[in-house]
Amino acid sequence: MTGQDVNWVFADLARGERAHLTRVRVAFYPEALIIGMPDGAQITWGWNTLRRVRDQADRRIMVLSHKGDPLTRLYLADHETQEFVTRHARSLGKRDHATPLSKVMLWAGGAVASVAVIIFLLVPLMATQLAEILPPEGEKALGDTTFEQIRVALDETGLGGVRICEDPAGNAAMQTMYARLNPDADLPYEVKIHILDHPMVNAFALPGGRLVFFRGLLEEADNPDEVAAVLAHEIGHVVYRDPTRDALRSAGSLGVLGLLFGDFAGGTVALFIANQLINATYSQAAEARADDYAHDLLEKADISPVALGTFFERLHEEHGDAEGIVAHLASHPQMTDRISAAQAAVDPNRTYGTILDAQSWQNLQTVCSGQADASSNGTSPAKKSWEKPE
Amino acid sequence: MPPSTLKISYAGEKGPVFWLALRTGILTVLTLGFYRFWAKTRLRRYYWSAIRPGGAPLEYVGDPLEKLLGFLVAVVFMAFYIGIVNLLLMYFSFALLNANYAAYALSFLGLTPIIFFAQYRARRYILARTRWRGIRFGLEPGAWGYSWRSMVHWLATICTVGLTWPLTTLWLEKYRVSRTFYGDQRFVQGGSKGLLFGAMRHVYYALGLSGVAAVMLALFENPAWALVYLLTGPWLVYGWAYWRSESFKRMTEAKQLGDMQFTAKPRPGRIIGIYALGGLMMNIVLSGVFLVAFMALGLAVGVTDLENINLEDMDVATTAVVPIFVLVYFLFIIMARAMTHAWITLPLAQHFAEVTQIVNTQNIAQIVQRDRDEFAEAEGFAEALDVGAAI
Repeated sequence: MTGQDVNWVFADLARGERAHLTRVRVAFYPEALIIGMPDGAQITWGWNTLRRVRDQADRRIMVLSHKGDPLTRLYLADHETQEFVTRHARSLGKRDHATPLSKVMLWAGGAVASVAVIIFLLVPLMATQLAEILPPEGEKALGDTTFEQIRVALDETGLGGVRICEDPAGNAAMQTMYARLNPDADLPYEVKIHILDHPMVNAFALPGGRLVFFRGLLEEADNPDEVAAVLAHEIGHVVYRDPTRDALRSAGSLGVLGLLFGDFAGGTVALFIANQLINATYSQAAEARADDYAHDLLEKADISPVALGTFFERLHEEHGDAEGIVAHLASHPQMTDRISAAQAAVDPNRTYGTILDAQSWQNLQTVCSGQADASSNGTSPAKKSWEKPE
Repeated sequence: MPPSTLKISYAGEKGPVFWLALRTGILTVLTLGFYRFWAKTRLRRYYWSAIRPGGAPLEYVGDPLEKLLGFLVAVVFMAFYIGIVNLLLMYFSFALLNANYAAYALSFLGLTPIIFFAQYRARRYILARTRWRGIRFGLEPGAWGYSWRSMVHWLATICTVGLTWPLTTLWLEKYRVSRTFYGDQRFVQGGSKGLLFGAMRHVYYALGLSGVAAVMLALFENPAWALVYLLTGPWLVYGWAYWRSESFKRMTEAKQLGDMQFTAKPRPGRIIGIYALGGLMMNIVLSGVFLVAFMALGLAVGVTDLENINLEDMDVATTAVVPIFVLVYFLFIIMARAMTHAWITLPLAQHFAEVTQIVNTQNIAQIVQRDRDEFAEAEGFAEALDVGAAI
């Protein structure tokens, strides 16, 4: 097929006017493809305006369209002529966008702005308001759910959740510490402290006044005052209802982020990370506020507020500003700032006491040892003792 | 004179659709989900073009950018709704009921009107972007009407523990089909209320028999009744396949497009066969993938000295293994999706296409083009809520 000697090939043409395929003749010239209609009329398609419709299931047939004509389709079945077209038409794969990119960008901007306003402004605002008026029972229910979820999530064996350390002497030492700090006047409800048998150096507050300490933190601390400082800090979170606000907030923002990433596998991970990052940055102000509260509480209890600082300092030296991404996500930002704040809170003209005697401190540090078999399911006793007083 | 009957031939093949789904799936993960608009478009182009009534392929002309745009439009509106509603529901469920599950249930309930709305809008978009012989399909607006009707019918179905599902199916199909156009010609979905109950009969039989067997077993403790009870399991499976094929047949044969009518002869046995074979193939291949991953892990562990492992090293090893697990997890999901396309979705589409015929087509050339349905939001709502069509 040289193109000069006119060699007609049959093909089907859909013109997009009636539900009918027209049997047409097609001829190939060096500069264009000519479609001969049954009534003798001719249509000319220049090679550079030819487009191939992609992803067609039937590989025997080539479906061609013409730039600027969204409706017309030419169904070419002859194999030889298909090869001829492929050789001559330079822009078969070119895509002519019907949707202007500027419009997409505009709406993308709108979507980002709307999501940002909701996640960073509206949801936090509402969460703050709602956290104030949520009844204590509601907060406790929220805390219960979260506590069980966290225990299960941290358990590496996959058998029901991390063990709660129940050594009576150790827990009594923790209670002594709490009684000494005596924050009850500030609290909407009673605080319950759990110690979990887990090596992580961390502690956190949950909605409804549950405080959770990890064994790792008790072991890392040099003296009881450092643990007391962390306790005072977590009580600060409870006082300001930070955990409740966080929970409500993530309920709102998680749903919105879910919209953005879709349900596909990649989305789940991106969703999780994005939400963690938002919550971490959000809680910086809350952390500082809880620190301030802790300084006051320690001062009143005759414990040097520097204990909060020294503990952070040592953690800082051992682990750097963040133990990788995990520590950053665990919302402990800018340790250096917190250390200097703790040092600034110390009254230089005063001598401070210590919060626990040596025996109690020993008991607290060994709270997780020696009873692993007794309560490996680790569920009820601690929870029961919490529910009893009500 | 054109032939008065058009057969539907099918040109799709397992291999190409598998590779297409695999390639687009990988790209979707790599782009954190944003390629999904392109992935969906390409898969649809393939599936549509495989169906060839009278030898002319259907064509899907949806534009990925248009879908991305529609998705962004939906996000702007939905973000308010989801963010605020989720938060309020969470608050009320804990404030009033002290429980979590209530929030999930309520939040789902709050979404149902929008889900049905989104499904109808998605269908409208898809039909507006489908052509055959160069003529557009179309669906009239009516998403809110569909939404409240769906809720009422679903409620009725739930109240009757699913026994009236055939009626729900028919009514909703009537609503959709009688608003569907091919060119300027409107589809009609006929059929009286009782049309689909017969299609559900094997499900009813199996459920009834299992009820009888359970009661008799409780009364007489005769092991023969236990056997009967076990037999109702396969019967239920057959009942489900029978429902799929028979409801398709009955509804298809009650459809009209001008003079044109349709016949369909799907076979329940073929449907069961497709699922059985597809399930088997997927099990073999995916457990193969797992085995390879497991052996690779075993090799890595085998190199280390198991006697003298210390915990510090374990931590490092765990950190190194996490990305590998994530990788295997994604690979697993993408493989499973691609295999579902090749071994289940495509064979089912092929079966239903090949058993269907269009009759009385002599006046088909009278049908003329309809206007393009400009549709700014495309199927954005369905995309955002993830309730769109499987493909």
